[in-house]
Amino acid sequence: MATRDLVLAALFAAIIVALGLVPPIMLGFIPVPITAQSLGVMLAGVILGAKRGGLAVLLVLVLVAIGLPVLSGGRGGLATFVLPTAGYLVGWFFAAVAIGYCSERFVGRSQSALVQVTGFFMAALIGGVVILHGLGILWLAYGTGTGLSTAFLGDLAFIPGDILKAAIAALAGRAVMVGYPLLPQRA
Amino acid sequence: MKTLYVQGDTWLHRLSPGLKLGGLAVFSLLLFVTASPVVLAAAVFLAGAIHASMRFGVARTWQQLRVILLSISILTVFTLLLNGPADALAVFLRLVALAVLAATITATTSTAEFIDTITAGARPLERIGLVKAADLGLAIGLVVRFVPEVLARYEAIRDAHRARGLKQRPLTLAVPLIIQTLRHADEIAAAIDARGIRGQNNRKLGEGS
Repeated sequence: MATRDLVLAALFAAIIVALGLVPPIMLGFIPVPITAQSLGVMLAGVILGAKRGGLAVLLVLVLVAIGLPVLSGGRGGLATFVLPTAGYLVGWFFAAVAIGYCSERFVGRSQSALVQVTGFFMAALIGGVVILHGLGILWLAYGTGTGLSTAFLGDLAFIPGDILKAAIAALAGRAVMVGYPLLPQRA
Repeated sequence: MKTLYVQGDTWLHRLSPGLKLGGLAVFSLLLFVTASPVVLAAAVFLAGAIHASMRFGVARTWQQLRVILLSISILTVFTLLLNGPADALAVFLRLVALAVLAATITATTSTAEFIDTITAGARPLERIGLVKAADLGLAIGLVVRFVPEVLARYEAIRDAHRARGLKQRPLTLAVPLIIQTLRHADEIAAAIDARGIRGQNNRKLGEGS
């Protein structure tokens, strides 16, 4: 891996950590504040692509594991990995890789703005909603022994918020690509 | 950034980090194969006894565990409503035992020890050419170094919003933050290469990929 890629991943990991420290942002049209940290995970894939985005999220997870309170709300340490909700944490890595992989394939620099945003949105939905929540539900069902259907019901409450985040990630991803393109092109 | 590590010289501080992580993994596997309240209560007692023998004091213990205990309580209430009291008790005891032991290991292992352990663990991956183990320590150092800078940049962008009477929207906050931060990647990479931190051979390897 080139030094520049390593630095980009580390810088994005720092952004994800910083987003966990800022107060939740209000959206205006819905009364619920959104935590910016999981948005950062989607952005890592959309902006850096699979390899560097995955590495950025992996670095955040390593920081959590070695006892730095870098998750939102000052959480951290090995205890966060032994809870039944750890699937959503470990799933971040797979989500970022999948979002990056799909973004590289769906989005090209010569496409129109609408196609680009749609491509990013689809990528963020596949990784940030389907894969992340799938893993989260499996881990939760296993960890609490409640069974898949009840774990799915508990998970449902968080899906609208993540769909919204996927939309924000798509718009932000396109804006960053216009201003400072980094996403590897494969299409 | 303040770590969750607590300085000290107890027997757990002196134990090798690899052994501690291995022990935690075995402990968690054992806890997930049993649902007997007696065994799980014994596990809670064991984890509690190990934690107490560190003599961290009640205030520090509470500070370390309160967020995690909140998550455990929520999960326990859900299990109680969905599966009944027997399952809820097993979930509660199992998670408390795990959380206490994990928090104790986190508190007794310094960041440097963890990085050394992870680097050593990545050596086999290096041999098959997947990653360079030393890069991991470098990357972790970079992240810790740049978090305060990203935060300062965030505050500057937020203040700029306020000064112009703009609403703080995720999009208008995140996009300039990301572009401003990532734009420095070239300079930082050049500085790292100029100091030869990653070694000559590796840089040539990197240029090819």
